[in-house]
Parts: sequence; C-alpha cells; structure tokens
Amino acid sequence: MLSRLKSKSEVPAPSATVWHPNFRNYQKLPDIKVVRTAFFINGAAILVVVSLLILLGFNEWQLHAVNAQTTAIQSQIDRDTKLSDQSVVLFKSFQAEESKVNEVDTFVKSKAAVSTIILRLGETLPKNVALDLLDFRENGLVMRLSVRGTPDVASGYATTYLEQLRSDSQLKLFEEFTFTGTPSPNPATNRMAVEFFLRLKGAPAVKK
Amino acid sequence: MMTNADQFAFVKKNPISVGCGVVALALIAGIYLRSDAIPEAEGILVQKTAQAERYALNIKYSAQLKEQLEALAGANKEIDGRIVRASQLGTNTQYFYKLQSDSGVKLLDFRQGTAGVVAKGKSTFVPIPFSVSVQGTLPQVMKFLRELESGNHYCRILTASCAGSAVARSQPLTLSLNLEMLGLP
Repeated sequence: MLSRLKSKSEVPAPSATVWHPNFRNYQKLPDIKVVRTAFFINGAAILVVVSLLILLGFNEWQLHAVNAQTTAIQSQIDRDTKLSDQSVVLFKSFQAEESKVNEVDTFVKSKAAVSTIILRLGETLPKNVALDLLDFRENGLVMRLSVRGTPDVASGYATTYLEQLRSDSQLKLFEEFTFTGTPSPNPATNRMAVEFFLRLKGAPAVKK
Repeated sequence: MMTNADQFAFVKKNPISVGCGVVALALIAGIYLRSDAIPEAEGILVQKTAQAERYALNIKYSAQLKEQLEALAGANKEIDGRIVRASQLGTNTQYFYKLQSDSGVKLLDFRQGTAGVVAKGKSTFVPIPFSVSVQGTLPQVMKFLRELESGNHYCRILTASCAGSAVARSQPLTLSLNLEMLGLP
C-alpha cells in the first residue's frame, strides 16, 4: 500500500539484469495510487486560495465597516458644525465678558476692608485702652495705644488685650500678634505707650 | 531547463494547481496593497469621532450659554458704570468732594496718581492710584471710609493711617489713605 502512495519518481528503476529491455517510461505512466498526488496538490492549492480569499474578504469587510462608521460620523459632524461654531463664538464672547467680572472680583477681594477692621477694633476695645494710631501697611497693622494704670497693671492690660486680639475670630486675616517694643510710660499722658504689630497672613516679613 | 512547450504542457496537465497559484499570488498582492487601508481608515475614524464628540460637547455645554452671556453682559454694563476714568480728573475730584460733603470730613489733601498701562490681552482695567487725607470726628471719618469702600466706584485701600491726639482726645482724627480705584486710562 505504501509503495502505491509513492510518486512515480520514487519507484526504483528495475535492476539491470532483466531478461528483456524495459521500454516503460515512468514519467508518462499514469498515477495508479489510490489517491493521486495531484488531488493533494490541488486540494492544498485550493485551500490556500480559499484562505487568502477569506482573509482578503474579511479585510475588505472590516474596511467597509470602518468606512461606514466614518460616513455616519461625518454626517453627524456636518449636522453639528454650524451649531458648534455658533457655540464657540458665543463662548468666546462669554470668556471675554467673564474676564472683566473676574478682574473686578479679584481687585475687590485683594485687600481687606479697613473700615470693617476699625469697627471691630472699636467694638472690642477694653475700657482701659485707647487707640492713638492705626497704621495699615502692606504687610500688617501697627496699633499705637495708651493704656491706663500704673506701669505694672498697664502692661498686664496690654498683654491681655493682645491675647484678646489674637483670639478674635474676626481678625483671622492676621497671623502674628506682637509687641513692637517694650511698653513705656508717656509723661504727657501719664499712661503707658504700647505698640502692637499685627502681621497679615502671607506677608513676607515683619517691618517694625 | 523547461522550454515553453514543457511549460505549456505542465500548465495543461495541472490546470487547477497552476490556476490556484496564480490566483493566490494575485490575492497576496491584493492583501499586501490593501494592508495600509484599514489602519488609515481607523485613524480617520478616530479623528472624526473625536471631532464629533467635541462638537457634541460644544452644543451640550452651550445649552444655556446665551442666557448666561446676557446676564454677564448686564453685569458688565453695571461694572462699566462704576469704573473710574483716569483722564476725567474733574469728575474724580468731584467724587471725593461729594464724599466730603456727605460724610462731613474736611478734605486736607487729594492727589490722583498716574495710572498704569493696560496689559494688552491680559486685563481690561487698570488701577488708578489716589492719595487722600481727611480730618474729622470718628463717625465722620468712618462714614467717609465706608462710603469710599462700598461706594459707587471699586476701591481698595493699600495703606491707611488713622491718628488722633493722645493728649487731647476731643481733637479731630486725621485719616491718610493710599488707595486704588479700578478704572480705565
């Protein structure tokens, strides 16, 4: 059986010691195998062609699907372009108008209202303390005070007042509350002259 | 070496396999030539999808934009009415004298500084500096200050000094201000 499946070229030529001349042309003899070699070759060739056809067809189908999607999206783009362009123009106008409002808002909120701070200081001023000077600077507030009482008592009042200022929730825009110098008696008023410095939050350095 | 006759005979003898070989070669060439088409089409699709999404979002987010723009334009009209013009020195001086008469303080000094230059494309307005000194009682000074801060024009006080006499408490207070008003050159 195996010998029958072998191609003609593989069949060994008869030995030289034959009793008559061998006139057979093996190339021209028919393939007498049960399943001819040509069947396998043709089958394989057809299989290859069919595979390639399927691959090409699949690629073309994919391409068609992608192109169909692109066409659908393009029609959506064509439909939305006009409205979108109008929206963009409208938004640019909005941005221009908004920038003006933001500029005003930034300007107004950039500094604390001085009148509000003065009113708060006036409301919370202890009875033994008088304000001589309020100096609002870039980095904070200098408060010059006259404190009633003997030097030892007046110094206590001043310290208590500073603590009171520090704990005041409405003065949270200041982050540092300090004496700028040693309290000293003022002979002109017979009161203790005291000076505080309230440094604003984020202010770079204390300038006394 | 095969002659033409041999080749013809070979084709004639194996028509299916030869035909399949030729078709296969043509198909391979076709697949090769079309190999760039899908990535290219996909690239275009991605680009178009992004564009379509952008347009759709533009439309979606602009649903109430017209009304908002109208509201903003109205607000800006009001802002324009409250903006100081640096060139209108007379009008600006008049504003401070009006504050003086409304509050009862005495205007000791009033000077308008030089306005900065509007940065092109960055800002619309420019702060216009003023130096003002007034004298009055505490209620008068406070009224002046409050009207200035919450008055018709947008104002921010850069530095302020409010002092009275430590010896004579009944003496009027002196308030010196360095302030800026939002305006146009």
